[in-house]
Amino acid sequence: MTELILQAIYSGLLQGGSYALIALGLALVFGTMKVINLAHGELVLLAAYVAYAVESGLNVNPVVAIPIALLVVCTSAVLVYFLVDRIKEDRELNSLILTYGIGVMLTNAILLIWKADIRSTKSTWLQDAVVLGPFYSMRSELGFFVASIVLMALLWWWLARSWYGRAVRAVASNRDAAKLMGINPRTTEIVSFVVAGILASFAGVALFSYGVIQPPLGHALTVKAFIITVLAGVGSIPGVLAGALLLGVVEALTVTLLSSALQEIAGMGLFLLVLFVMPNGLFGTAARRG
Amino acid sequence: MKNIRNAMAAVVATACAVGINIAHAEEFLVGSEVPLTGTLARVGTGMKEGIEVAADVFNRRGGKHKVKLVTIDDESSPAKAVAAVEKLASQGVVALSGGYGSNNIGPASDAANKAGLVYMTSGGVDDSLTQRGYKTFFRINNTAGYSTAMIGLLGDMGAKSVSIVTSTKEAPADLAKDVEKILKAKGVKVVMHSFDPAITDFKPVINKIKLQDKSEIIAMVGYENDYVGIIRAAKVLKPDVKAMVGVWSLATAKMASDFPDLMPNIYGTALLPFPAEFKTPEGKEFAETYKKLFNKEPDYLGQFGYVQSILLFEAIARAADAGTLKSGGLAAEVRKSDRDTLIGRVKFDDKGDNPLFSHRMGQHQSGKVAVVWPRDSATGKMNFPGVPW
Repeated sequence: MTELILQAIYSGLLQGGSYALIALGLALVFGTMKVINLAHGELVLLAAYVAYAVESGLNVNPVVAIPIALLVVCTSAVLVYFLVDRIKEDRELNSLILTYGIGVMLTNAILLIWKADIRSTKSTWLQDAVVLGPFYSMRSELGFFVASIVLMALLWWWLARSWYGRAVRAVASNRDAAKLMGINPRTTEIVSFVVAGILASFAGVALFSYGVIQPPLGHALTVKAFIITVLAGVGSIPGVLAGALLLGVVEALTVTLLSSALQEIAGMGLFLLVLFVMPNGLFGTAARRG
Repeated sequence: MKNIRNAMAAVVATACAVGINIAHAEEFLVGSEVPLTGTLARVGTGMKEGIEVAADVFNRRGGKHKVKLVTIDDESSPAKAVAAVEKLASQGVVALSGGYGSNNIGPASDAANKAGLVYMTSGGVDDSLTQRGYKTFFRINNTAGYSTAMIGLLGDMGAKSVSIVTSTKEAPADLAKDVEKILKAKGVKVVMHSFDPAITDFKPVINKIKLQDKSEIIAMVGYENDYVGIIRAAKVLKPDVKAMVGVWSLATAKMASDFPDLMPNIYGTALLPFPAEFKTPEGKEFAETYKKLFNKEPDYLGQFGYVQSILLFEAIARAADAGTLKSGGLAAEVRKSDRDTLIGRVKFDDKGDNPLFSHRMGQHQSGKVAVVWPRDSATGKMNFPGVPW
């Protein structure tokens, strides 16, 4: 049983790293603009399909697709920003409808271009098993978990140390006060959409490298990212990581100790429990005090 | 002169009237409600291709009746499926061929029944669909046909213990329960592992099979994305099993070409080997038409879509000839269908089910699919024991 539980925790952590990468972009945009980008999952999926197109077209490792995915997804993210920016009234509410619509359009565009078939990498190198003592994973899972931790550390550093990072935090904290300090909120918002696009690009290529993609998947990714964002407490990067890892481990332990049929219910149960006990999320209160 | 003009006008009017009547008598609108977007887009598109091939073949046969398809995407949603059927009914279709997923087919065929339209499908194997007693509902395949094939293969393997990994979706769950019940009755040790369709990492499930169940065989009942996840997890954890057996959408040319490293020695239901060998004239015509229309090799979804539709079109022609099409005679004509098809002999019982349906089992071998069960239809010997790693 110990062996089973250890593997479940390990699998859950790897899965959580993937969740965190998907959720961070959503959390960042929400923190800056108070906009829930319901097309975020579709942007992740777009990156995954770019990886598929590059792998199948050029017969190369999908990791090579990251620069192209960055270009395509960041451009798409900026376009989403310009559309959202046109909303002059009730932006928080109207952006929900707008980004939901964009998500539907992106899903159907993906369906038209790449058809409904399921896709995943053919690279055996990425799928090969990596065994670390009692822990088993695919090479792609472990590699992208490490990449996800590095990206989150970089993001944290960027938000804390760089001028633009601090500008993003300032706009998130108080838009009017930030303007008085000479920060252009529009530029800052574009930057946060671009950074969300970068995160979505890595998340998408990772998803294609160890999972299976199909056009309707984007919506499920957005929902998962939204759950983690709220679970973490809005605006908290460590919270997103902690929330994502916690969710991953709870899901994997549920499969091991109870039933795989209960995995999603366990995740939602955790979400409701945390919100019941800590209405601001795991790190929400601390973030507000800060 | 006036008389001649009147006579000519009468001739023209009569010719027009006759012409219009002939046109109405020859071409019948047939509705097709299929998922072309959403989670079932892939299978829905496959079925639609088969339906279109059937219409093309039927119209080229040169009979006095022709069919014209009107297709609506049900977006993989039960509510949209009902709306699609109602819209097709309002457009004057004489029958419906399509539907995928038992949860969509249930309400869609309810709506068709209320509109008095025959609903023909191959996309839902849930037993409850045929237990409603509708006179207008027909399907050419069922759970029993799949479970017979899977259990037959497991019997040939001499399996003593089986771990069944099954989706909680209605059709896979029903089939898995069926297989579990029959295997247990035969004295086989069975452990069930139901999984939520949203699951992406199957390692915790496979690890339980490896460390706790220690079964000889892993039976998978799900869909393509589930199979890929399960087999990948098994390749990482390498449980000590002798075979991995699945059902639909697995022993296909597409899976062989898309996942060449995952498929070796994997079993799944297969009507035909791959590369496909069509031996009957109808099979050859189907394959040629399919390739002409879609520029690719036909798959099992196309075959099922073709068979359900060609049987429906033939029944429409018979009912039209008998003059009973508009008076509810189509269901009776469909029920009279009894012939060999691309999926074997098809006839319908009073519930609209095809009691003769029995699938075959294929195995991925060196990039091809060999039919390995039943023995009298086998095109190759099964590699047993054999796993993809």
